[in-house]
Amino acid sequence: MISRRIFALCLLLAFGFSAAFAQELPRSSESALNWLKRMADAPRRHNYSGTFVYYADGHIETSRIVHKVDSISERERIEVLDGSPRIVFRNNDEMKCYLPDSKRIYTEKRWFRKFFPDILPQPFDNVIDENYYVKEDRLERVTDHQCQVLSLTPRDSLRHGHQFWVDVETGLLLKAAVINGSEIIEQFAFAQLEIDGEIHSASLKPNQSMVQEEWKVTDLITSFLKAGELKWQIMSLPVGFKKLVEMKRNLAEKPTLVDHIALSDGLATVSVFIEPITQDAPASLPGFFTSRGAINIYVRILSGYKITTVGEVPLETIKLIGDSVIKKD
Amino acid sequence: MKSKISALMDGELDQRDASNIIEAIRKDDDLQGEWETYHLIGDTLRQSSKLAMNISSDVSQKLKAEPTVLSPNISNLEKKLKRKIYAFSVAASVIAMVSAWLVMQNLHDPQQIIMAEQPNHNLTIAPIPVSSPSAIHYYPHPPIEINDYLFVHREFSPGVTMRGQVTNVNSVTEYHERYGR
Repeated sequence: MISRRIFALCLLLAFGFSAAFAQELPRSSESALNWLKRMADAPRRHNYSGTFVYYADGHIETSRIVHKVDSISERERIEVLDGSPRIVFRNNDEMKCYLPDSKRIYTEKRWFRKFFPDILPQPFDNVIDENYYVKEDRLERVTDHQCQVLSLTPRDSLRHGHQFWVDVETGLLLKAAVINGSEIIEQFAFAQLEIDGEIHSASLKPNQSMVQEEWKVTDLITSFLKAGELKWQIMSLPVGFKKLVEMKRNLAEKPTLVDHIALSDGLATVSVFIEPITQDAPASLPGFFTSRGAINIYVRILSGYKITTVGEVPLETIKLIGDSVIKKD
Repeated sequence: MKSKISALMDGELDQRDASNIIEAIRKDDDLQGEWETYHLIGDTLRQSSKLAMNISSDVSQKLKAEPTVLSPNISNLEKKLKRKIYAFSVAASVIAMVSAWLVMQNLHDPQQIIMAEQPNHNLTIAPIPVSSPSAIHYYPHPPIEINDYLFVHREFSPGVTMRGQVTNVNSVTEYHERYGR
């Protein structure tokens, strides 16, 4: 019967469309996940030095990076070459940020954030597959290296998509893009790179002018807390997000300490800051804000406290997390 | 009872009272008369061009008077044609449903939040308000502390905080100047 055939065809079409548009994505292939694993391991296997650019909202910023790894330590120096100078030194988990203009040094004892080109969590596991569909795309050349392009499509609307250009030879990430729908919202890419060249240890130390006494040192972390020690709680974490750490922060010499909860889904990081509203502090204004690139911000007031949620995720996710913060009795 | 009918017309009764009074009207001819009168009064007061009149008896009488038309049998060919048309119309409706659903999906796609345009003069990081999913106030000048938060959140990472750092340092100085600490 014609009618039955047509009806069957329609059903087929309908299901086809729904599968394509509802993004019921398949599991990521083993080989695609292996590429990510290689990419996560590469900074622990290779020395590199070069220059990379950050591009977002029509704005370009250049940084120089030197990275050295041996059996006992991993050291890195990143220097911003545009605008106000800033040099970050990392020695394993400890980092120092030098600001020559204001003669300040900010220090962090524990490193939990990742940045280009070392952006994947360590140790890397396949949990990322729960939140993103990882697919091997085309091959492309970046700074004279043949790269495998990987596309990471989010499995829901709570996070952005990503694209990685991974060096076929070493597994190093040479270019990364954050994608919202079909639009690229921020990018990192090497403009020049030398892998496994010789790196002098002098290039990983602050120069003499930076170690003078008049520089003011601020330790940004005051104390790490055990889970549940904070009097704040995030009631319902959005799917795929896990709590990384809870701590009390000494934020740029504020009169009071700020509670900080950091969350991540393996790629995107969200921070929740909670501080009491004091009378002499600037007025606290609730609302939504955006910053350059993928950053969104949500400020909310709750019983005399200000809750600020910041992260490289869509505004919905930021609001979801910010709104689910409650005070424990 | 009259006041209850009036209240029902104004939609002031709750679910239970409303069904009770409707039941009562249905059973009682006098109350039905009241109901019609109230509507007539209402329409007159509103100067409606169409007054509420009970035309149901007239209509059923007209229907009774209508002659029954006996149509001849439809040929097999016509039947097939009709079936085909029916099949195609089913197909069209399914496609229409799917497309409507797709359009809805796109409309509700939360990834399509339109961010507020960043003014050209604002070349530093200073965060700007964006369109929000809820009714919350917008402020053109974000709280100073946001720069501190951005700085800490990105942990000095390249890109956003590069700029954040610049404003951060300024805002720290500003904070000290303003609050004498």
